[in-house]
Amino acid sequence: MLPYALVSPLALFIVALALVPAGYTIVASFYKVQALDPPTRFSGLDNFRRLFRDTAVRESIGNTLIYVVIGVTLSTVLGIAMAVTLQHRFRGRSVLIAVLILPWALPGVVEGIVWTGIWDSNTGLLNSALNSLHIINHYQVFLGQHRLLTIFAIELVQVWQITPLSALLVLAALQNIPGDLYESGNLDGASAWAAFRRITLPLARPGIAIAMVQAVIATLNVFDQPYILNGAAPTGASLTMQTYFISFQNLDFGEGYALSLIITIATLVVSLGVVKLVYRPVEF
Amino acid sequence: MTSIRRHPTTAVLAVGLACTGMIATACSGGGSSSGSSKTSGVTITVALATTPPPKASLDAFTASTGIKVTWTNTDWDSLQTKIAAAATAKTYFADATDVDWSRVGELGKLNWFYPMEKYIDTKSLTADMPQITSFTDAGHVVGIPYDASFLVTTVNKALFAKAGITTMPTTIADYTTDLQQIKAKSVVQYPLNIPFAAAEGLSTYWYQTTAAFGGTILDGAGKPQFATADSAGYKAAQWMVDALKNGLVPPGNINVADSQGQQTLMAKGTVASTFGDYSGNVGSLYDLPDSSSVVNQIVYLPTPGVSGTAPNMSNPDGIGIPKQAKYPAAAAKFIEWFTQAQNQADFAGVSGPDKVMTGYFLPSRLSGVSLLTQKGTLIAGAQLADMLKNSAKPVFPEGAPSWYPEFSRAVYTNLHAAATGSMSVADAIKAMSDTANKLSSGS
Repeated sequence: MLPYALVSPLALFIVALALVPAGYTIVASFYKVQALDPPTRFSGLDNFRRLFRDTAVRESIGNTLIYVVIGVTLSTVLGIAMAVTLQHRFRGRSVLIAVLILPWALPGVVEGIVWTGIWDSNTGLLNSALNSLHIINHYQVFLGQHRLLTIFAIELVQVWQITPLSALLVLAALQNIPGDLYESGNLDGASAWAAFRRITLPLARPGIAIAMVQAVIATLNVFDQPYILNGAAPTGASLTMQTYFISFQNLDFGEGYALSLIITIATLVVSLGVVKLVYRPVEF
Repeated sequence: MTSIRRHPTTAVLAVGLACTGMIATACSGGGSSSGSSKTSGVTITVALATTPPPKASLDAFTASTGIKVTWTNTDWDSLQTKIAAAATAKTYFADATDVDWSRVGELGKLNWFYPMEKYIDTKSLTADMPQITSFTDAGHVVGIPYDASFLVTTVNKALFAKAGITTMPTTIADYTTDLQQIKAKSVVQYPLNIPFAAAEGLSTYWYQTTAAFGGTILDGAGKPQFATADSAGYKAAQWMVDALKNGLVPPGNINVADSQGQQTLMAKGTVASTFGDYSGNVGSLYDLPDSSSVVNQIVYLPTPGVSGTAPNMSNPDGIGIPKQAKYPAAAAKFIEWFTQAQNQADFAGVSGPDKVMTGYFLPSRLSGVSLLTQKGTLIAGAQLADMLKNSAKPVFPEGAPSWYPEFSRAVYTNLHAAATGSMSVADAIKAMSDTANKLSSGS
């Protein structure tokens, strides 16, 4: 009885705040739920059809895929690099970890505003620095003009935010690797690079997989950074932004539910794919 | 043994399901819109995208009415989301909240707000509060404007003078020639500020420019009035994009929002003019040494039109009472107090800094503006009062359509795309026009 009693608040919480809304979303995505055109009525796959006919949604699918590829790749590579660096004990390591985690702790909106000052094409820090160094002779437009450059610049901001968590997750995995494996490798004449490839990477795979999954979830749901840095411009609009526009500007909740469902399924599928591809059980 | 185990499990599950049901019911709200008629001894929540009036002022209101006010300052976008989410779920979130001019048609159709005439004699307000017409939908007043906001043209007279321009332009053609002259004489590299970021500020700038070219955006049925190349809206879009392509506008403005451009370009003397600026910006931004390097250089210009002064497009902020308000009558008392002429003038600084409401500059009442002008508190007060009374016009004379947010997004994303060169002005106009046609026909 006691275990049930102890678990029930959390279970209740999950049921009420996750499963019930999720179930409701699935059901409602097959209904026409438009505040400006009541009543709510069953519409089958109509919401999904309209979504895939919507040019803005189609462009956002492409944009979001690019966000995911850039974000997951960069945050994983940088996260591993940081974790390997932090694996070694050195003076100031704790302070560095504390500083490293700061971007992760900041809200995306705040980061967007901070980075606006860097990317700004008229008065931005980056333009000013490049100009001072005579690398450019007139200010460049980083956001809004070219799709790939815009998405890359925006995604860098998110990478800055999510990489600390990736680093910590990989670091936790690295700290489980027994030191004698490295010693054996050393005795066998393995170079640092060989030790990294043959010992560190394979044994850190569970941590790397989790880090990649959190990056997938974050990048597939990116909202704050593109919205703050690039507004609703098609060059950088993400799928979650479209969900917001459709639900809260057009007040077409049925279509919004359908898009939320698509994003959720995409997140699950991609995350499972990453786990299948990267995760391997490790026993020491 | 088995039965002993099954029983508690079933009970726990039953309790869990019951609680879940209760939570779900609570989340979906009761659906009631019958608020209390109490007007004293209650606490109301006011949610606006602005800082509150000073505590002393709110305390004075409480002392005189017995109504306590809890103020929630939420950014505009989040506030609109909260309004929609709360109204859809039929849950309470505030007793009085934002009614933006652009949402009046939508809110009116959705019946999410109490008609203000139920609580306030709105007819008597019309003469003193000209922008109240922007808040009327199907004969009902959805909200009361609490500030006066309309688009104005601002120019840096020092930069104009440097280019040898002593007579200010009165037509859009003269205005364009003057900007070209400023650029040609290298007074500044880019003389004009147009916020081309894909955001609401680009739409409103285009509405103002369209008015300057002598046209309107939509007719009474919501049909586009800008589809053909000889229409004012088309010419306005072409003028704006040409200004960017011909080097009158900084290239970086592709990603600059309206307030950002005013703060970082106009207030720093980087550009010489903003065609669709905020009313009140001279006193509240450009003449403040802390935020501006062009103090005493910026003046309001009667908006240049095709053959003379053009109207100024209204975009005021209003306050209304959501249907799920707990104390609608008390909220109405607050709105009456909040929009009184003397209080508005106090918030704008007529009685000194103690009564100032940060960020509040221009009363919605002409009598409030007069109080400020008489005291000399409002820079260019007489000019602003004249604009408010005579030339400030609603963007949509028949009221903003219920589908305005979707239309506006089509406007600013397509104009932005035309500015980046990823589509032509003709294609942008066609996309905007198609959207208006689709939405107005209800398809």
